[in-house]
Amino acid sequence: MSQIAFLGAIEVGLLFALVALGVYLSFRVLQFPDLTVDGSFPLGAAVCASMIVAGADPYLASLVAALAGAGAGMVTAWLNVRLKILHLLASILTMIALYSINLRIMGRPNVALLGEKTVFTPLEALNMPSYVALPIALAILVLGVKLSLDWFLNSEVGLAMRATGVNPRMARAQGIHTDRYILGGMALSNALVAFAGALFAQSQGAADVTLGVGVIVVGLAAVIGGEALINTRAVWRATFACIIGSIVYRLAVAGALNADLLGLQAQDLNLITAVLVTLAMVLPGVRIPFRKKGSTS
Amino acid sequence: MNTMRLGIAALAAAVSLNVSGLAWAADKHVAVTQIVEHPALDAVRKGVKDVLAEAGLTEGNGLKWSFESAQGNAATAAQIAKKFAGDAPDVIVAIATPSAQTVVATTSTIPVVFSAVTDPVGAKLVADAMHPGANVTGVTDMTPIAAHMALVKRIVPNATRLGVISNPGEANSVSLVSLIEVEAPKLGMSVVVAAATKSGDVLAAARSLVGKVDAIYIPTDNTVVSAFEAVVKVGNEASIPVLAGDTDSVKRGAVAAAGFDYYDVGRQTGKMVMKILDGANPGDMPVEGVAKSDLFVNLSAAKAQGVTLSGDLIAEAKEVIQ
Amino acid sequence: MIEARQLAVTFNAGTPMQTPAMRGIDLVIPEGDFVTVIGSNGAGKSTFLNALAGELRPDSGSILIDNQDVTAWPTAKRAGLVARVFQDPLGGSCANLTIEENLALAYARGKRRGFGASVSAAMREEFRAHISRLNLGLENRLGDSMELLSGGQRQAVSLLMSALRPMKILLLDEHTAALDPKTAAFVLELTREIVAERNLTTLMVTHSMRQALDIGNRTVMLHEGRVVLDVRDHDRDGLKVEDLLHMFEKVRGSELDDDALLLS
Repeated sequence: MSQIAFLGAIEVGLLFALVALGVYLSFRVLQFPDLTVDGSFPLGAAVCASMIVAGADPYLASLVAALAGAGAGMVTAWLNVRLKILHLLASILTMIALYSINLRIMGRPNVALLGEKTVFTPLEALNMPSYVALPIALAILVLGVKLSLDWFLNSEVGLAMRATGVNPRMARAQGIHTDRYILGGMALSNALVAFAGALFAQSQGAADVTLGVGVIVVGLAAVIGGEALINTRAVWRATFACIIGSIVYRLAVAGALNADLLGLQAQDLNLITAVLVTLAMVLPGVRIPFRKKGSTS
Repeated sequence: MNTMRLGIAALAAAVSLNVSGLAWAADKHVAVTQIVEHPALDAVRKGVKDVLAEAGLTEGNGLKWSFESAQGNAATAAQIAKKFAGDAPDVIVAIATPSAQTVVATTSTIPVVFSAVTDPVGAKLVADAMHPGANVTGVTDMTPIAAHMALVKRIVPNATRLGVISNPGEANSVSLVSLIEVEAPKLGMSVVVAAATKSGDVLAAARSLVGKVDAIYIPTDNTVVSAFEAVVKVGNEASIPVLAGDTDSVKRGAVAAAGFDYYDVGRQTGKMVMKILDGANPGDMPVEGVAKSDLFVNLSAAKAQGVTLSGDLIAEAKEVIQ
Repeated sequence: MIEARQLAVTFNAGTPMQTPAMRGIDLVIPEGDFVTVIGSNGAGKSTFLNALAGELRPDSGSILIDNQDVTAWPTAKRAGLVARVFQDPLGGSCANLTIEENLALAYARGKRRGFGASVSAAMREEFRAHISRLNLGLENRLGDSMELLSGGQRQAVSLLMSALRPMKILLLDEHTAALDPKTAAFVLELTREIVAERNLTTLMVTHSMRQALDIGNRTVMLHEGRVVLDVRDHDRDGLKVEDLLHMFEKVRGSELDDDALLLS
């Protein structure tokens, strides 16, 4: 594998680590299977790209993209807590609606960002090639997001959110208004995913309406894969596992692309993903001799 | 953290950092990235490969040929772009807009030839189609809409309303519809657009045009073309002439089409690749539109849809389907 | 003071499975009372508890806590006034969270939650002090996950949790029913201690008539959604299970024929 391919895997892995963290929040913390992400990822890309092309500041555009994602998450949550629609179905409804909404926002199916000013443009002034600068910048960003999330989940509000997912009836008995926490948690989750979409569009040169296909699968592969590799008892370990899972997944993809001896091609990617996720779910059974169950750290 | 497990993961990563198969220094390396596998895009790829073969470059004989399809996934397309950037081939051929965009975002030094991209300037692959100036050039498959509208008018001279079915989610199709809305009125035809977001919606879209249009034109839209038979059914039932932007559709029931073959687009792309392999600079090579155009007609379709084709027209045709 | 006025609710109204679970329950619980509630299956005990806690909206009637009408308040809003220990040891705590995190959740009951650390060093010390009185050796295992504890240990911790913050009423929903006799006795004794220490107004639902008479100062019997017996203090002292049964027959004109209730 060339250095560019390796660093490229790290780069895409870090971008999707944000998606993994978002999926972790909905899927694991809130116990809310959320397919909205297939719509909020391209939503973030659409909002950000449209704003940049219209002349807005890229940082502002990325922030607004995150807010748009938060809105999408809240719609799904609202459908679930207010209208009592099953969470999975509610998320599918929002995802479907977002396809049309994203098209409307962009005005066309593809908005190109090549040559536009993006959040990554300042990196070009540095004395290193972009394929090195980008992963480093993303690593710093993802670390910052992770630490913020750790702090949040360990705060009173964060603990209440975790309780909402684990045992909503008990949570309500402790005075937690679970509806509000679901709305807030879903907003945060999809804000992260939309933000990732905005960054992805800026680094890859375009926002395309088809960006969302398969995002939930990749997010879950990262979360579940990370859990297979790392004991996730404490919150900081769980978020770390999301990041590691995402990067390892991308490295595996890059490995498959570059392993000419195996004869694997990108076309085999779906099969590889399925094998990886299956391994990740089977491995916990194999792990037991190495892991002391229940202790923290 | 479990060191042993992480160690195994690291080992696996190291194993994958293998050295790829030996290649002679003299071999030319052409790397092809395609967004999704699809008859038209595959034909482009074949065209490129055939032109190289005719010049004496085949796999194992002076040519290293890499091909990866992203299976419709943008993140995969990104990783393919990075792999190719790291492999440093002599030319990267990027088939379709999303694959081309991510390649251009990844490398500014390796020569890139795009193909089957409808709007290279709109996609910001090149700033100026006549003088690209950087490392990127290619062949655009933009349909010569003006010529197609002229063909519609020639076959259905009294048409004043033209129906078009398109998937608003396909970039190419959207650009074509905009062009149609500019060119058709010049020939005295107003345009009615029916949308179909997936192939299952095409029949309903076609039916919605009955009574509202004098002719139907189907642009090179992957979604609608894949369900072309549905449009033909409606055209036959309601006696509305159906024309297409691609020639394959004629044998499926369109009256006529003046189209190009994606294989020819591929060949044209292959010729650009050869020039670059021989040392030309992509920045000096203007973006090319499709050079060859063929007329196809279908006589039984004409009968079913209530159209009489003139003798001149039939004589001009490259292929006449009974 | 807790007041229940004419509480009534019917489940599955209008269907063949229609069940009037409460048919007009009137009960006044002055501050400091420790009321035990008994009744056969379907008498409405759990339904009554759920109504008091806010999990159930009665069809008619009202609930007042210190003269404030809380009938329409959802559980979360009422949580500052009502503490509860569930019957199912799993249901009353968060299995995936640690002991101290569970305690922290209860510690914030009724308070506005902010962004400060959920478990501070000071809180941890306080938790340690509380939990060591249980003599279960849990004071050094605060970081352990709740799911590692046995059912009895969990109920004991749940009891502690309920008593961490002030409340107007403590609801105990057959909280020893799922435990073995020895552990049940331990938890019951702990209940007695905690209630006595803080003079908590308590409502305890139990399936055992014996237990109902032994603990607390007042016993209420529900039958078919209504209060049929209500004995307190001196009237209750010295009563035996047979006496309760006779009183029941007199009021209802029929025999009580719930074996489980009679034999436990």
